[in-house]
Amino acid sequence: MLELRIRGRDYAQPVLGEVFATIKRGDRICLLGPSGIGKTTLINAIAGLDHSMPAGAVVGRETLRVGYLFQEHRLLPWRSLKANLRLVGASDEEAEHLLQQVGLAGYGHYLPDQLSLGMARRAALARCLAVKPDLLLLDEPFASLDPVMAGDLKQLIAGILDANPDMAMICVTHDSGDAELLANRLWYLDGKPARLQWDDRVVESGAVRKLLEHLRRLDRVGS
Amino acid sequence: MSSPAGRPPVWSYWLVLPLFMVFWGLFAWHLESPLLPGPLQVLATLMEEARGGQLWFHLGTTLARVAVAFTLAMLLGTLIGIAMGRSRTANALFDPMLVLLLNLPALVTIILMYVWFGLVEAAAVMAVVINKIPNVAVTVREGARSLDYRLEQMATVYGFTRWQRLREVWVPQLFPYLMAATRGGLSLIWKIVLVVELLGRSSGVGFQLHLAFQVFDVATILAYSLAFIAVVQLIELGLLQPVERRANRWRQPEQAHA
Repeated sequence: MLELRIRGRDYAQPVLGEVFATIKRGDRICLLGPSGIGKTTLINAIAGLDHSMPAGAVVGRETLRVGYLFQEHRLLPWRSLKANLRLVGASDEEAEHLLQQVGLAGYGHYLPDQLSLGMARRAALARCLAVKPDLLLLDEPFASLDPVMAGDLKQLIAGILDANPDMAMICVTHDSGDAELLANRLWYLDGKPARLQWDDRVVESGAVRKLLEHLRRLDRVGS
Repeated sequence: MSSPAGRPPVWSYWLVLPLFMVFWGLFAWHLESPLLPGPLQVLATLMEEARGGQLWFHLGTTLARVAVAFTLAMLLGTLIGIAMGRSRTANALFDPMLVLLLNLPALVTIILMYVWFGLVEAAAVMAVVINKIPNVAVTVREGARSLDYRLEQMATVYGFTRWQRLREVWVPQLFPYLMAATRGGLSLIWKIVLVVELLGRSSGVGFQLHLAFQVFDVATILAYSLAFIAVVQLIELGLLQPVERRANRWRQPEQAHA
């Protein structure tokens, strides 16, 4: 449903090198890689936010509904949660239902900055779901949450993915544990400019371990 | 209690202004000149003008001109300012014009409008609008330059329409700049409207000042000035400050959870 044909040479000072991949319905991709390598750049490009990308670098996005969970909540701070959800097309009842789904029942009239970090992130997740996305982009959804809250959110997202088997997901993370719980496909981005060094379907549970071993070998080669 | 730069405490107004009245009264009483009437005399003139309906008519006329000129200048200035803040091309196009207009004396615009279009209402209002647009545009441009790119990205991903982007994303962020432009705008427009009226209209506070000036009727001049100051303060306290309070409520919300 989505095809990446990013050729780094097409634009000035590329963070990304060649990235060729096809994303299918139901793909749950965890995108791993060192800090600052360009993981956010890649999902911004997929979301259509990178204006330096030439036309044709991301094929098929126009027809997709995309939900993007940014690192910050990026809800409009002057609008209540409910109003934020309604702005992206949710009806009143849908907004109520979505808030309930992410564990924020009864918080519809609150302003985003009245919430804790974890609650605000869940509210932002509710907005992602409000657009009924074909593709869910998550940029480090568990960063800076305490372990309990992170665990709850992980279960919540896993549940949402299971309930929507057609939905594709790309989740940027540092934690291979996230990958084991959420992913059925692993990407590893590395190098300057960054390329996909690893693209593997998690058919058996050993894939994450295989990736880690691969990385350790890379480390040994590097050092 | 309050910072030195902030608004002084209320009692200072109730102390300084009456004291000023007293000094003014004593001075006028000592001079005994028709060129400096005392506060009581000015008040009497004010009451008389109010009772005859003159005051309300001219004050109302001036207010209407201010309202029309202000609305037009804010609308056009805001649009130009946003365009300049968001687009290099628009900025390159309008910035030289702004430099020109910002340094053009208000009086010149007024005279030119009257010369070209005659002593008509449209020329009067247009002169005020042309004087005001550059200030609004420059202020709003600063705001448009500092718009949060993260919310822009959000609006792009979620497919906000142009109108939604303007209303939901830009205007709330531009609000402090719009308020600054409103404040500066009103005080500037008041003053220019009076000059416009003085030079070429036969109604309004400026026209009354003109008449009083010709016969050196200082009491009338001061009476109209006081009425004028009162109206400006009423708008500030009764309109601008409540709007600002309401619009800024989201900035310091009470925490739902600490």
